[in-house]
Amino acid sequence: MKKVVSLLMVLMLLVGCVSFAAAEEEIVLNVWSFTNELEGMIEKYYAPSHPNVKINYTIYPTDGGEYTSKVDNIMAAAAASDEAPDIFTLEAAFVKKYVNSPVTADLAKVGITEEDVAAAIPVMKQIGTNTATGELKGLSWQATPGALMYRASLAEKYLGVKTPEEFQAKVADWDLFMETAAEVNEKSEGATKMVVGAGDIWNAFNFGREQGWVVDGKLVIDPILYDYLDLAVELEQDDLSNKGNAWTEAWFLGMKSDTTLCFFLPTWGLHYTLKPNCGYTTNDKMNDAEMKAACEADGGTYGDWRMVAGPVGYSWGGTWIGANDAKVAAASDAKKAAIKDFILFFTMSEEFLYTYAKDSGDFVGSNAVVDKILAEGGTPNPFLGGQDHYTIFAEAANLANGSIMTDYDEKMNSLWSDHVTTPYSKGEVDLDTAIANFKAQVTAQFPELIVE
Amino acid sequence: MQKASADPAIAPKRKRKSISYDKYGYFFVAPFFIVFLVFQLYPIFFTFRTSLTDAAGWTKVLDNKIIGFDNFAKIFNFGSEISKFFWQSLGNTVIMWIFNFIPQIGMALILASWFTDSRMRLKFQGGFKVMIFMPNIITAATIGILFMSLFGYPIAPINTLMQQIGFSHSPFEFFRSTTAARGITSFIQWWMWYGNTMIIMIAGILGINTALFEAALVDGCSSRQTFWKITLPLIKPILLYNLVTSLVGGLTMFDIPHLMTQGNPNYTTNTVARFIYQQGFETPNNFNVASAASVVLFGIIVICSLILSAIMKDRDKVKSKGAKK
Repeated sequence: MKKVVSLLMVLMLLVGCVSFAAAEEEIVLNVWSFTNELEGMIEKYYAPSHPNVKINYTIYPTDGGEYTSKVDNIMAAAAASDEAPDIFTLEAAFVKKYVNSPVTADLAKVGITEEDVAAAIPVMKQIGTNTATGELKGLSWQATPGALMYRASLAEKYLGVKTPEEFQAKVADWDLFMETAAEVNEKSEGATKMVVGAGDIWNAFNFGREQGWVVDGKLVIDPILYDYLDLAVELEQDDLSNKGNAWTEAWFLGMKSDTTLCFFLPTWGLHYTLKPNCGYTTNDKMNDAEMKAACEADGGTYGDWRMVAGPVGYSWGGTWIGANDAKVAAASDAKKAAIKDFILFFTMSEEFLYTYAKDSGDFVGSNAVVDKILAEGGTPNPFLGGQDHYTIFAEAANLANGSIMTDYDEKMNSLWSDHVTTPYSKGEVDLDTAIANFKAQVTAQFPELIVE
Repeated sequence: MQKASADPAIAPKRKRKSISYDKYGYFFVAPFFIVFLVFQLYPIFFTFRTSLTDAAGWTKVLDNKIIGFDNFAKIFNFGSEISKFFWQSLGNTVIMWIFNFIPQIGMALILASWFTDSRMRLKFQGGFKVMIFMPNIITAATIGILFMSLFGYPIAPINTLMQQIGFSHSPFEFFRSTTAARGITSFIQWWMWYGNTMIIMIAGILGINTALFEAALVDGCSSRQTFWKITLPLIKPILLYNLVTSLVGGLTMFDIPHLMTQGNPNYTTNTVARFIYQQGFETPNNFNVASAASVVLFGIIVICSLILSAIMKDRDKVKSKGAKK
């Protein structure tokens, strides 16, 4: 008898669940991403104001290409199925691959208009746009413009520079930048170098190109890249850099000691790379006061950094939100509205972005909100000696040109670095051999491209 | 017993007496076979099939057509880039394997004969064996990253050490030198695997009848003679096993070069497995070419293994024939 009763109770519970769910008529959105960043934002900001939308959040890491494999797989096999994402996030490394392919929906299909996104920072919008058709397919809640960070005390000591404006004048273009590099090396007698290595300036320099890596199915080596090689040779062979690579010991040492004057870093690089590495005992779990104390104790660089726009406006990294075309096509009007609302909430809602920027210090992707924050006096940053990082990033964000980004960037950049920049700048091969090696690799790995 | 139970008259009685537990054996081995069929055998056949198709890109994985041997033609068309890089990768792999394998088997043999030598009676054998085997326990990924930072440039432990002891004045960029990069890769493979090979060798030597060693001792053989005339010929099957497993492992070498050198400098540490990975899983997803390369590699390994076992076995046969006479 007990068994029967308990079974009945379980059944009643189940029925109860089902009927409640049915009664609310909630909309379910499958969201796929590669970190829990968006999940945290959904829980904190989106869920409270959207009780009728149920988010199924799935995370696949980007390590080893797992995320893109999962997305590619489901889009190829069952794009419109219940398991497939309605909304998925796209990282800078592969955003172009998806917005240039039919798997992402034109955001106009869910009713997002030009006016809705008028305030979006142009470079992020450009990157989220299909290069061929011009359809807007991805939007971002943040912008990731880059700037040039430099050490105020070293600049004053070796260059006699007292303000960021004076420093900017010394690095306003690449020729001036190299002259300054020579000056620093000379005045410091080799103790301090301008940058850690040629790879450091790549992320900024490649934004000076007029054409991306691939135009109309053809490999394009923009002429400016040869200028980059000259620069890399000088940095390497004239002793103007520490001759190290990014993300190595030498690179991190440059952040905490006097070996390096400048770093090209974007918004996230300032907060998550430079700041936690400014001292020998600092880490990313410390707050500002703890970092300052740690640096005072053992000689770090906290508070000695300043920021300028540098020789070129650029953008490095970022995350975009896109929608699954197959699911959008099959969606009811209510669901389309929910997708539209979701995307606009995170990327354009001034109320949300303002709160989020204040809470996190992140540089948000809407000029309207950026202007509002600037009008309120910006965000004086004690790490930058009280300098406001929003002003510089805002300037850089509107300078950067996203139209040169292609689906191939990540791989091309690494092939170019492995087969051209590194061997050529170290004097291992001549230029023709380096370029030929690069082209051979491109031919082998991208059989669909025309390589001349 | 099976036959007896077939007799209808005595079958019922017998059945109760001798319950066959044989079938449970199948249940115990079933998990392995199910996993093997789904995750190994099926992918192997799928690779063979994919190598004959035009499956480039995820969208074509399920929807492709057989195009014959075109992908193999790309690998054997010696003028093309794909072919050039495939064979170059194979060459790199073989070089790095040889420089790992010869010291590995040599060191393992020496250590195994020391550990089993009844005249030497080494102390703390267990401790030594553990220490020698230790590198094998750590995952290759960890070791790859470890060596990458040890041999970094311009500031890293090895460079700092070399400058402090006065060995050199300026830092040396290990991963921009073909010899150094290949050497470090071979060294890691050797260092990780000689302990493992040694354990297998010891097991092989301990399998030899001790009466043989005792007889040799009585007859006045030196340690060297015992090793060359008794130990070595008798552990030949174990040597063959080591040679073949090491060949398979060596030709499919992936993790260390992938994490430590990424094929640099100038593609000289790029292995075949990395070539396959690049074709299949870096941006372009040329699964067809990757599969064809896998099949070619598979063929090369099979042929090499057959040649090795033929070389090692023939002599045994000659000997046993001689013995019969």
